[in-house]
Amino acid sequence: MYRIGVDVGGTFTDFTLHDDADGSIRFFKVPSTPHDPSAAIEAGLLQMLDGFGLQAGNVGYLGHGTTVATNIVIERRGARTGLLTTRGFRDVLELGRQARPSIYDYRVQKPPVLVPRDLRIEVTERTGPDGSVLVSLDETTLEAAITQLAESGVESVAICFLHCYANPVHESLAKAAVERRMPGVFVSASSEILPEFREFERMSTTVVNAFVGPRMGRYLDRFRERVKAIGIPAEPYTIHSNGGLMSVATVRNCPVRTCVSGPAAGVVGAAEIGRVAGFPNLITFDVGGTSTDVSLIHRSRPLYTSSRLVAGYPIKTPMLDIHVIGAGGGSIARIDDAGAMKVGPQSAGADPGPVAYGRGGTEPTITDANLTLGRLDAGTLLGGRMMMDLEAARRVIHDRVAKPLGLPIEAAALGIIQIANANMSRAIRSVSVEKGYDVSEFALAAFGGAGPLHAAEVAVECGIPRLLVPREPGTLCARGMLLSDLSSDYVRSHFADASAESWQHVLGLFVEMIAEGSAWLDGEAVAPGARSFRRILDARYRGQNFEVKVDCDGLEAGQLAALIDRFHEAHTQEYGYAIPTREVEFVSARVQATGAVNKAPQSRITGGPSLGAAVIGRRQLYVDARHGWQQATVFDRDRLPVGVPIKGPAIINEMSATTLLFPGQSAMVEPFGNIIVEVNA
Amino acid sequence: MSKPIADPIQMEVFSNRLLAIAEDMGSILIRSSFSSNIKERKDASTALFDARGRLVAQADHIPIHLGAMIGAVETILARYRLDEMAPGDAFICNDPYLAGGSHLPDISIITPIHHDGEVRFFAGNIAHHADVGGRTPGSTSGVSRSIFEEGIRLPVIRIARAGTIDEDLLSLIAVNTRDPEERLLDLRTQIGTNLRGGAMLIALLDRMGWPATEQAIEDILAYTGRRLRNRIAALPDGVYRFERSMDDDGFPGVPVPIVCTARIAGETLELDFEGSGPEARGAINLPDSAIKASCYYCVKAVLDPGLMPNQGIIDPIRITAPPGTIVNPRPPAAVAARAVTSNRLCGAVFGALFQALPPERVMASCNDSTSATSVSGFNPRRQATYVYPESMGGGAGAFADRDGMDAVHVHTVNSTNLPAEALELEYPLILEEYCFVPDSGGAGRHRGGLGMARQIRILADGTIFSARSDAHVIPAPGVFGGKPSNVTRILRNPGTEREEVLHSKSSGLVMAAGETIRVETLGAGGYGPPTERPLDRLAADLREGKVTRAAAERDYGVEMVCRALA
Repeated sequence: MYRIGVDVGGTFTDFTLHDDADGSIRFFKVPSTPHDPSAAIEAGLLQMLDGFGLQAGNVGYLGHGTTVATNIVIERRGARTGLLTTRGFRDVLELGRQARPSIYDYRVQKPPVLVPRDLRIEVTERTGPDGSVLVSLDETTLEAAITQLAESGVESVAICFLHCYANPVHESLAKAAVERRMPGVFVSASSEILPEFREFERMSTTVVNAFVGPRMGRYLDRFRERVKAIGIPAEPYTIHSNGGLMSVATVRNCPVRTCVSGPAAGVVGAAEIGRVAGFPNLITFDVGGTSTDVSLIHRSRPLYTSSRLVAGYPIKTPMLDIHVIGAGGGSIARIDDAGAMKVGPQSAGADPGPVAYGRGGTEPTITDANLTLGRLDAGTLLGGRMMMDLEAARRVIHDRVAKPLGLPIEAAALGIIQIANANMSRAIRSVSVEKGYDVSEFALAAFGGAGPLHAAEVAVECGIPRLLVPREPGTLCARGMLLSDLSSDYVRSHFADASAESWQHVLGLFVEMIAEGSAWLDGEAVAPGARSFRRILDARYRGQNFEVKVDCDGLEAGQLAALIDRFHEAHTQEYGYAIPTREVEFVSARVQATGAVNKAPQSRITGGPSLGAAVIGRRQLYVDARHGWQQATVFDRDRLPVGVPIKGPAIINEMSATTLLFPGQSAMVEPFGNIIVEVNA
Repeated sequence: MSKPIADPIQMEVFSNRLLAIAEDMGSILIRSSFSSNIKERKDASTALFDARGRLVAQADHIPIHLGAMIGAVETILARYRLDEMAPGDAFICNDPYLAGGSHLPDISIITPIHHDGEVRFFAGNIAHHADVGGRTPGSTSGVSRSIFEEGIRLPVIRIARAGTIDEDLLSLIAVNTRDPEERLLDLRTQIGTNLRGGAMLIALLDRMGWPATEQAIEDILAYTGRRLRNRIAALPDGVYRFERSMDDDGFPGVPVPIVCTARIAGETLELDFEGSGPEARGAINLPDSAIKASCYYCVKAVLDPGLMPNQGIIDPIRITAPPGTIVNPRPPAAVAARAVTSNRLCGAVFGALFQALPPERVMASCNDSTSATSVSGFNPRRQATYVYPESMGGGAGAFADRDGMDAVHVHTVNSTNLPAEALELEYPLILEEYCFVPDSGGAGRHRGGLGMARQIRILADGTIFSARSDAHVIPAPGVFGGKPSNVTRILRNPGTEREEVLHSKSSGLVMAAGETIRVETLGAGGYGPPTERPLDRLAADLREGKVTRAAAERDYGVEMVCRALA
């Protein structure tokens, strides 16, 4: 059986294929087709199966990561959407939390609201915070509202009533009425999408879901048909923002959960690779063409966050906590009018790309600097399928940076890289040191096309002792699809002082949500033995307005005291202190349902016979002002032996990335094929 | 004038390292404090100074704190010699008149950082505490008549010596506030934050050595100064004057003008507030640190939002205000409710600076206000008293090419609202409506942003309502023929026979169960003549109900409205 992971990026669509028969992994990529991403998936699958001589009928697993939902939001190409809400609150969607998007730059505007005011219609109804009905749902205003939406030609309807998390009856009635009156229209009720208090975030999430729903549904249909047409029998999965997999049917109802799906697969992949290789604590460092994504994995578990802005719209779903900065291979270096050099966030992207690509780029980029210093080889991009122009890169660095600053060309190019590294290091510190983690206990997992080029210097800057470079780092996101499990998250708000009764109530909510999760796992055909449920309670001290997540695994009725102890511990981990005398309040109960997928096993690699056999050349590499140019040995990663130390300066090449070793650093391929670098700061 | 940069690459790298330290301090301060002001609203800032007291780096959190610790560090340096300071010492202060403070709830902690036996840096942080005592809970009453009513005053005091906190002093401060447990926690966090910043600075000095560090500091300050001077030099020389006014001085009376005269000559900018009205009787005076922060905010926002907050943006600007005015009060004038004055002053500075810019870079006046309200009473569910603070924004000014943003906070305020669901879960109150105020934005080729309305029903007898608001009389003006906004109003029991219009600084109103309060804030000014408004935009406003037909016919004319609807 074969397993295939597909990651659809802006420029390339990456594939990773795992052969269960011999444990081998193969990598492949084709240009993306942004008008219909499933076209590139189909083309790539066909070419790959054909090229490797494999039968489509033997593909038993297909996982894919997609930015379709994200792009619909960014480009605002979603459905014409209407909103039904409680009387008095239709403007909440546009008022938001009333903060402006940029503190200092008043020219920065809020993103245009996804549902215009005349399609936001109020219905007479009111539920109280305890779930009691204060004003019954008024059928007349509801019917009139639906008539108005139907006449406006909306394709999708979001419903968000106040306090529906405490009692969803009014939303359910409204949803049923919309479905009855407007058959074929996509309907999202907030109590189904996110039954959690704080109306604006819930409304925004529900509206985004409704906005992307119809178009995402059509994409999923095409994707499924194409996969079927090729002859692949497996039902495809999609990775969602929490790093777990979902079936097409689940994604169809809740597409908002895929809004940060792209980078999630890389993080989940890194976590799993690190777990198997014995590196449970990782900081992921994913450097692409325009941005760098960093995140933290502690004890093999990635950190989660519950909300994030996508194109300026708040989305609240459990998601991996990934910090993004505008620094990547295409980031442009500029000298400003006051004499400082800045690198990024402007980027030449993939088109025109760096000057060295020869596609019309005119401004010096990080990639041009790396090429100038011999850190990248002009002929190694995409396994030699693309040549770069070294002379053009040197010329632009000279003209735009070295000459104006009166510096030698090497110092200018190195300066660009040092500034980029300083930016990237700040991002790494913000996900690690600033959250109370000791970076000396972590390894930097470097991937993306340019991660392994910058990782050694960035690790030194941050005080991280070692690197882990997985195989084919440029396509790790595609591989991550093969290393993930099915998962889905459930939440119920329950606002109460901590007491034996309220704990009993929370336990009841857990039971309810586990039943819901079980029903979902039934639908996904997960065997009972492969299921697990994580129970989490959001709690806080009285007087606070933010919550701490408490792991409730193993806690049952009668164990309130143990729960409170765990809350104090969790508060200490998160904020550095606890106040044992202060009253505790419960806010929301959560369950994460997981169905273990029969994942692609990671197998030990054989490796090449000796270091000497892996040498493919030597190249001059510029290290820094002190070491200057040094002769570095160039290795072919696929032929490196396992467990043999490699001394820097050295360059390790593979199809999708280049790994650098500086003088004094050493590396070794560990049994599962990852390169471990000791940076020896 | 300004020195050339010795090493632009090392400067940029160093600048990232310094900012990483300031941001790290900011995140630990916000993460570890208890007050929701600090934790949720991020009403706190962290900064690094050199041994001469020059601001070297500040983490961006809230504009009213821009450069706000400079006065504190200056006071410390005037009072103590560097060789009197030991590693592990920490100073505390908050007083606007004695220690460069902003208002009493903003407490600063400043810590000298030694390396090789010398003070090389000061690490500082300032945080808005939920309460520092005084006549009203929250310590920000709009109607105090002197600073003695506003809470505990702290001149510069050494709160820690050689790493040991003076517990006696700390408890003296804490017991003078309404929640001593919270205050102790937050003050300890502030002291710890600087120690953490100090440890990181020492590691940086170990790595770079003092000479390279000193060079990089000089480069950063020279660079920022050069960048700002370039922006100023690009403006036409001249004298530009703009006036905004407060409705009154905190008690019913006549408007109080705030006049800004911007004098631009070559690379220098002077902001002079001569002509501004007298010191207020109420608590809306703007002390030195707050007027400076407001001016730095304006210059950064209007000329170059990317300017790094350090001494380099401070030195090229000269700020003068005549003593005894609302913008340069004398002790013991009350200052607690300075936020609304700060925003109005920013409106005056923006208006003056915009006259030096081409029309396409001009924005019409924003609401330049903020309406803070407080509802307090007894919560039967909790069997305890509660205080619910809220602050509301309004419209943002229209631009040459687009309408102003609806319903946002502007200038030095940027706090978030309390969601209806959180409000109703917590307090015996019901939020009946939260919406835009139609017709509140000034008409024009581009319309000013709309204000917002919030209507609350009270569920328990004996509930107390207070407001610190303004712009109930004077609207936000339009520009280049654009119309002004409406004005703010606060209504008690709107739409009933008992409806009553309240004064902007109503204080201590006792309300009964079933009564309602409605606050409607002002919008912002329009840009360009209404006759030039694109018909499709006017049609959209009418369709969306952001502008009513009657108002549109008044501002745009019946004929234009008919064409828009055709």
